[in-house]
Amino acid sequence: MDYFANLVASGLIFGSLYGLIAIGFAVIYKTTGVVNFAQGEVMMFVLYFSWMVGTFVAAPLWLLLLIAIVVGGAFGALLERVFIRPMIGQSQFSIIMTTVGVAIVLRGLVPIFWGVESEPIDAPLKSQLYEFGPVMMLGDQIFALALFVAISAAAWAFFRFSRVGVAMRAAAHDETAALLMGINVRRLQGLSWMIASAVSGVAGVCYALIVARAPDMWQIGFQAFPAAILGGLDSPLGSAFGAVVVGIAASLSEGYIGYGLKEISGFVIIIAVLMVRPYGLFGEKELERV
Amino acid sequence: MSGALEVLNVQVFYNDVIEAVRDVSLTVGKGRIVALLGANGAGKSTLLKAISAVLYPEEGRLIHGSIRYDGVDLTARNADEIVAAGIVQVPEGRRLFETMTVEENLRLGGYALAAAELGEGLERVYAMFPRVREKRHAVAGLLSGGEQQMVAIGRALIGRPKLLILDEPSLGLAPQIVRDIFDIVKRLNAEEGLSILFVEQNARLALAVSEYAYIMENGRIVLDGPSADLAGNADIQEFYLGQAKGGERKSLRDLKHYKRRKRWLA
Repeated sequence: MDYFANLVASGLIFGSLYGLIAIGFAVIYKTTGVVNFAQGEVMMFVLYFSWMVGTFVAAPLWLLLLIAIVVGGAFGALLERVFIRPMIGQSQFSIIMTTVGVAIVLRGLVPIFWGVESEPIDAPLKSQLYEFGPVMMLGDQIFALALFVAISAAAWAFFRFSRVGVAMRAAAHDETAALLMGINVRRLQGLSWMIASAVSGVAGVCYALIVARAPDMWQIGFQAFPAAILGGLDSPLGSAFGAVVVGIAASLSEGYIGYGLKEISGFVIIIAVLMVRPYGLFGEKELERV
Repeated sequence: MSGALEVLNVQVFYNDVIEAVRDVSLTVGKGRIVALLGANGAGKSTLLKAISAVLYPEEGRLIHGSIRYDGVDLTARNADEIVAAGIVQVPEGRRLFETMTVEENLRLGGYALAAAELGEGLERVYAMFPRVREKRHAVAGLLSGGEQQMVAIGRALIGRPKLLILDEPSLGLAPQIVRDIFDIVKRLNAEEGLSILFVEQNARLALAVSEYAYIMENGRIVLDGPSADLAGNADIQEFYLGQAKGGERKSLRDLKHYKRRKRWLA
């Protein structure tokens, strides 16, 4: 039982990392209808860049987080401006292939600039051990979990209540109609890239805190993508929930069945779920009046 | 001209090869109701999209000509600037945000407004359409066609536009609802001095509601004039109102009919 509880806890922690990336997928998809396959690579690049700046100013953890958010936002705006905006009017498929190209370039750039050594973040948080009944968690893990919960709630509230968030949903639903409302759709699309990349920056810091920074950390994008699909690609909160499910499933399947299942368990789940609910668990279904 | 929309020699292409509108000019004076008539594919909706600067999602481009409103050139402006200038369009088929509630739809219509103005705008629309107030928490996609059209018009009116453009407001609605919608349009024009430009397939209705009308065929304006004059025009009566001279029905094979119509486009 203790084994089970600890596997669930570890799944929850990794799920929260997947979740932060999955929210990035969902924010961009919800506003622009584009799946940004570079989400994991953006996380890695933003983290490495922020780390460099952070080391330069000897930043404590909270400052590193802030730097990652700022760098993430700026990098997201840059990507949108340089690669995505000129593609407006091209087919969705071309735009998605562009994001795949960006992903591969970023994977190559990181080791060129910062080497291939993996390095953990040193923070006092890491050495604190907390016990919750049979479950043990480290301070950094709780920190990541708390950030994940806070950002999920913020993303949900943003799309549900804020004027800009609702306008983003409107733009995704019907671009022409949104334009006729006087919504500056292009600006919102740029903003969605900024938000997604800033959240990815937070994910990167959490990942480096819990595991380490490494030039293969982009691979968690492969776990986050099924998570986003599972929860509904157009629902940030759903994607976050999907990530928790995928994280726990990955941890349990690895713990009970065998090593190597972690990577595929998420995809097994989405195949099963999408057969029943093709728009994901929380995705918006096309409405039909009868 | 102050307060007038002036469209001058506009030409629109889709995908850079298909010419949808050629050399079209029209004017909507301040406080006027103007109708735009024509068959399917004549370019009416394209012209309205050009005015609202929403051609680009459909690969359309304004190649030539200018669009001015209240003396200001709006030709190369973005859609949000057109709305800010006071020109708001209710698109064909209403295009509500169907998964959102009625009130969310209305609030989006007031996207650019300050909070106080938005609240005032909502109240004004609810007062105008009590039915919309009743349904304000309902999901927009589940309303009836007539209710959806009221929401669409209400959404356009939130920000107090100066010129309201309606693209086929009667599409898919029952005749009684269509009359209600046009009564509202006429009232807005009479009571608030709102200028109106609308597209309509039903020529009889359009000529009855409007003061001035333009007729489009194959991307061009082939005839225009005060609506009362057009309603009495023999060609219009024959081609659009379905009345033949002397009250007898004409055969579709009538060659003169074809020739006369062809002369318009020459």
